[in-house]
Amino acid sequence: MIAHILNLGRRGCDVLEALGRSGLFLAQSAVGVPSREGWYLWLRQMHFVGVLSIAIVLVSGLFIGMVLALQGYTILVDFGAEQALGQMVALSLLRELSPVVAALLFAGRAGSALTAEIGLMKATEQLTSMEMIGVDPLRRVVAPRLWAGFVALPLLTIGFSVVGIYGGYLVGVEWLGVFEGSYWGGMQSSVAFIGDVGNGMIKSMVFALVVTWIAVFQGYDLVPTAEGISRATTRTVVYSSLAVLGLDFVLTAVMFGGFS
Amino acid sequence: MIESPLVEVKGLHFSRGEKTIFSGVELQIPRGRITAIMGPSGTGKTTLLKLIGGQLTPDVGRVLIDGHDVHELSRKALFTLRRRMGMLFQSGALFSDLSVFENVAFPLRVHTELPEAMIRDLVLMKLQAVGLRGARELMPAELSGGMARRVALARAIALDPDLVLYDEPFVGQDPISKGVLVQLIKTLNDALGLTSVVVSHDIPEALSIADYVYVIADGQVMAQGTPASLDVDEDRRVSQFVHGEPDGPVPFHYPAPEFFRDILDLEGRP
Repeated sequence: MIAHILNLGRRGCDVLEALGRSGLFLAQSAVGVPSREGWYLWLRQMHFVGVLSIAIVLVSGLFIGMVLALQGYTILVDFGAEQALGQMVALSLLRELSPVVAALLFAGRAGSALTAEIGLMKATEQLTSMEMIGVDPLRRVVAPRLWAGFVALPLLTIGFSVVGIYGGYLVGVEWLGVFEGSYWGGMQSSVAFIGDVGNGMIKSMVFALVVTWIAVFQGYDLVPTAEGISRATTRTVVYSSLAVLGLDFVLTAVMFGGFS
Repeated sequence: MIESPLVEVKGLHFSRGEKTIFSGVELQIPRGRITAIMGPSGTGKTTLLKLIGGQLTPDVGRVLIDGHDVHELSRKALFTLRRRMGMLFQSGALFSDLSVFENVAFPLRVHTELPEAMIRDLVLMKLQAVGLRGARELMPAELSGGMARRVALARAIALDPDLVLYDEPFVGQDPISKGVLVQLIKTLNDALGLTSVVVSHDIPEALSIADYVYVIADGQVMAQGTPASLDVDEDRRVSQFVHGEPDGPVPFHYPAPEFFRDILDLEGRP
């Protein structure tokens, strides 16, 4: 019994220590004046985490918009309210689905790749050798990836929403015959720029920070063996997904739950 | 015997978890010479290099490089000091996304403002020194283990450091590569006026180029001296190691219960 309590306490301390370490890690990586070289490294990472994630994010956005329109239509038509389809698709996407689903896809596509890449650099002593050359790997390797993730995910989320709304249009208007004017008009009159688009973007930025932070920290902090890399990659996806869904509830409660 | 050593290790204690790695190590690395640090596997030779390079912090004790206490320096000052050091890692540790040329150019690009033409000349000179000028366009994945280590050596000396640390440079090399590396370490040390620290358990290779040797075992300096004096050392632990005898004070067997009792599964019985 005592052993169990001791074990629990030790685990608690380990978790706190890891949180402290990751906080320091974030502070040391994120601060600092970007140099010309830093911009180049950041652009390169924007390509890897951002541009290469475009396809999966946009295709998913298209299908989710189409499914939303299809499901929404079958329910709304019973009440004769299919004119509200545009409003429903847009609000669902902007407030919830785009930030959350794009973040989950980003964690699976880019987050796991970041962890594996940094982890492999650690396992092959590339990070250590960089330190011995007198270059701080936090600034050279971690910072560009962190900032690239932080900028790329909100942009991908915008793309997700745009394509999703178009997917809804294809199904709702082109296929099911909802009046085009009411699809766009309903959207225009009901979507608030700050309240809906703005809050969705704030969510996306929070998710971007959390997912990228988890991914680069897991890569930097892992045990440098094949098993260590595989565990850390899995942890990145699991922790990021849980963090995104948990934070989404908190943010939704604060933004739309009547607290404000 | 040593006048103004470049590196001094004083009263070094270091442990990892429950395991004590060093308990009171004292070393002095003379300037302009090759010092070999030898010892059986698992005695913490690589750890010692990491302590000298400031990547690990000792529990007690100091490491002085040219009078600077490595572990008292700020992060920025430590990185500045490291520009005067080169380190050759066991794996080579080349940056896998950069070509051979760019790997060697890396320290020059990040620490100097030299024009591109001069960087090119310097990189080709360093590659020429290790015999790989023709391999400049290759990627690290296309190199053999020995070639990767030579490129890493060219990178380690790119900024003309005062001190080069070699971590097991001969491990896993074929006889030709070994010979090339032995000759390179010696030639570069003499030609560039470096101070070299070679951590190794390849005795013939290390002894053939070292000016001074430390043997480390059980967390302490077990013996020190010139290669010739170690060869005739009468301490049984030293002679076992230097002459590669399979059994002796360092036992062949990992600690275990008495063989007869163990095989009959009598342990724990009266």
